[in-house]
Amino acid sequence: MNTVDDLVTLVRDELGLPVTTSDAGRSLDELPGWDSVYLLWLLTVVEKKTGRPVSLPDLLEAGSLSDVYSLVAA
Amino acid sequence: MDFFAAYRDGLLADDYHRVPALLTGLDPAELARAGRLLANLAVDDTQATVVRVAITGHGTLSPLVPSLTAEVARHGLLLRPTVGDFGGYLTELSDPDSELYRAEAEITLCVLDAGIIFDEVPVPWRPADVRAVLDEKLAFLDKLASIFEANSKGTLVLNTLPLPHRLSAQLVDHQSRAELGALWREANARLLRFGEQHPGVLVVDLDPLLAEGIPVEDPRMAVYAKMHLSTELLARYAREIGHLARNTAGRTKKCLVLDLDGTVWGGILGEDGHDGVEVAETHHGEAFRAFQRVVKQIGAQGVLLAVVSKNDLEPVRRALTENPQMTLSENDFVRIIANWQPKHDNLKQLAADLNLGVDAFTFVDDSTLECGLVREELPGVAVLPVTGDPALHVGTLLADGWFDVRELTVEDRARVDKYREDLSRKDFLDNFDSIEQYLAELGVRVRFAPATEKELPRVSQLSLRTNQFNLTTRRLQLPEVRELADDPAWHVLAIRSSDRFGDNGLVGVIFGRRENDALHLENFILSCRVFSRGIEQACLSALLHHAREHGLTEVFGSYRPTAKNGKVADFYRRYGFTTLPGSDDGVTRFRHDLGELTEAPAHVDLDFGGTLQ
Repeated sequence: MNTVDDLVTLVRDELGLPVTTSDAGRSLDELPGWDSVYLLWLLTVVEKKTGRPVSLPDLLEAGSLSDVYSLVAA
Repeated sequence: MDFFAAYRDGLLADDYHRVPALLTGLDPAELARAGRLLANLAVDDTQATVVRVAITGHGTLSPLVPSLTAEVARHGLLLRPTVGDFGGYLTELSDPDSELYRAEAEITLCVLDAGIIFDEVPVPWRPADVRAVLDEKLAFLDKLASIFEANSKGTLVLNTLPLPHRLSAQLVDHQSRAELGALWREANARLLRFGEQHPGVLVVDLDPLLAEGIPVEDPRMAVYAKMHLSTELLARYAREIGHLARNTAGRTKKCLVLDLDGTVWGGILGEDGHDGVEVAETHHGEAFRAFQRVVKQIGAQGVLLAVVSKNDLEPVRRALTENPQMTLSENDFVRIIANWQPKHDNLKQLAADLNLGVDAFTFVDDSTLECGLVREELPGVAVLPVTGDPALHVGTLLADGWFDVRELTVEDRARVDKYREDLSRKDFLDNFDSIEQYLAELGVRVRFAPATEKELPRVSQLSLRTNQFNLTTRRLQLPEVRELADDPAWHVLAIRSSDRFGDNGLVGVIFGRRENDALHLENFILSCRVFSRGIEQACLSALLHHAREHGLTEVFGSYRPTAKNGKVADFYRRYGFTTLPGSDDGVTRFRHDLGELTEAPAHVDLDFGGTLQ
């Protein structure tokens, strides 16, 4: 997971949401088909992929995919 | 092509029938991913049999939807979920007007966890505090179950409450810890007995699932996201619900077909001889013995056992009758096919002999090649490859609840004998020049009468299992059958038959509804085992005569086509009904004016006392 594009691809492949890199800065609530529970799936998938823990409370506060990426890449 | 490639290419929504095969062999993580993708896919209702599941419970349960989507899709079904509000089970189940009830789901899940108790236990606490909350909650759940039964025709699924270590370990003395353990298990035992009082309720025991090594919870998810059961446990639970959905849709497997060499015993019969194959005492022998014991156990509960194996017949017979260490015997099998024909041809022949569809079969083989061939040629067969260590055969056979049913009936326990009698009838038939001569000699006796309370489980089972002679294929769980039997406007008429070879048991049912001077035949079901003996004609004729004698002026019938019941599309027309103008719900309706009535065939000895008084 080296760029925000990787995260966007992951969201597309793992959750089936039709997002593109241009959606990364948008509020999660504005993403088509978004559900807050997807953050829970992302946590599992991202941690498995990177082998590093991510703070769930921080993740639940994330407003956009860019925010999620910042947390994951930190 | 694999599942994910098919998804990327946009093939799944229009080719949903391919999904079960594509999901085969995915590991749990891949299956979870597939479920998430499928859950977001717009699939039309016409693509598969729809199963409606309403979900409520305690805590965050949304992850259950993708898991359930994948699990029911594995059985070719299409999930239509309704998810209740967060933690809303108390209000949703107690309000008959809630969205949960309005969903009219076949299956309603109320997922429970230890939080329903510990949310209300004070801090600090002792086991006695827990006991008080357990008592109160169980009484309340009991009430909810009653409300559910009064307001829904579907099945309510509860589950036992797992006790996580973080709770019991808060008691520092072992004595109190033991007391909590006992209280907790007593409460779970009471919960498991709910089904005895509430036929509409089914309780999934989570303990055996947890014993497979699944964590009860993920502490971060529990604290931050109020997801009190782990994703893995919810996925495992979803698998069990998938089996239930398959049963609800009438797709429970009826026959277990086994290969022999390497599957049922170790070694090669042709080389090792009937007393040289491994079935006991050696390491491998013990593994095969364990497998044979499980097969025998399943066979004793109404699942037909059969052999389809590349062997010569005579040595197979000898192995099953003369090898003193063999657990299974020739008598356990309804049919043994040992020859060198392709297995898919043998399976088709077996299906024809037993009057079943091949999709009623589960087939077990240790050869990857044979498994692949059967899968390719007969996609409806559930193929279980037992390609590894024979100690793992049992797990493979049992992993998917292929034969799970809600309740066993008397007929189940005697099924193998009945099918065996059927095969004798076939041999008997071969001795006659004409079918009329055969039927005259067969001595068919039919008893046709309102179903008794004891017969209702079998009536429900017939509606769930019968696919071919099922005029409207309305599946009815036991509580629904009971409701109809108790309703004075309805008639639930059970058909029993016997002949010179024995008693067939309860083989059919007619659901009729009286409305003024008309009788509506809402469904007519006959077990495939007794087709073509005039039983259906005899019962229909008796009912029509009886209706006319009691002043009725017309009788209506309906036919709703499914993939399986094409052979009865003409049933009502054949016996003097006229077709009514079509409606747009896909159901063809028929009317009989009770003028000229079809007569019962002379060879059937019918006992019908009437019912319309």
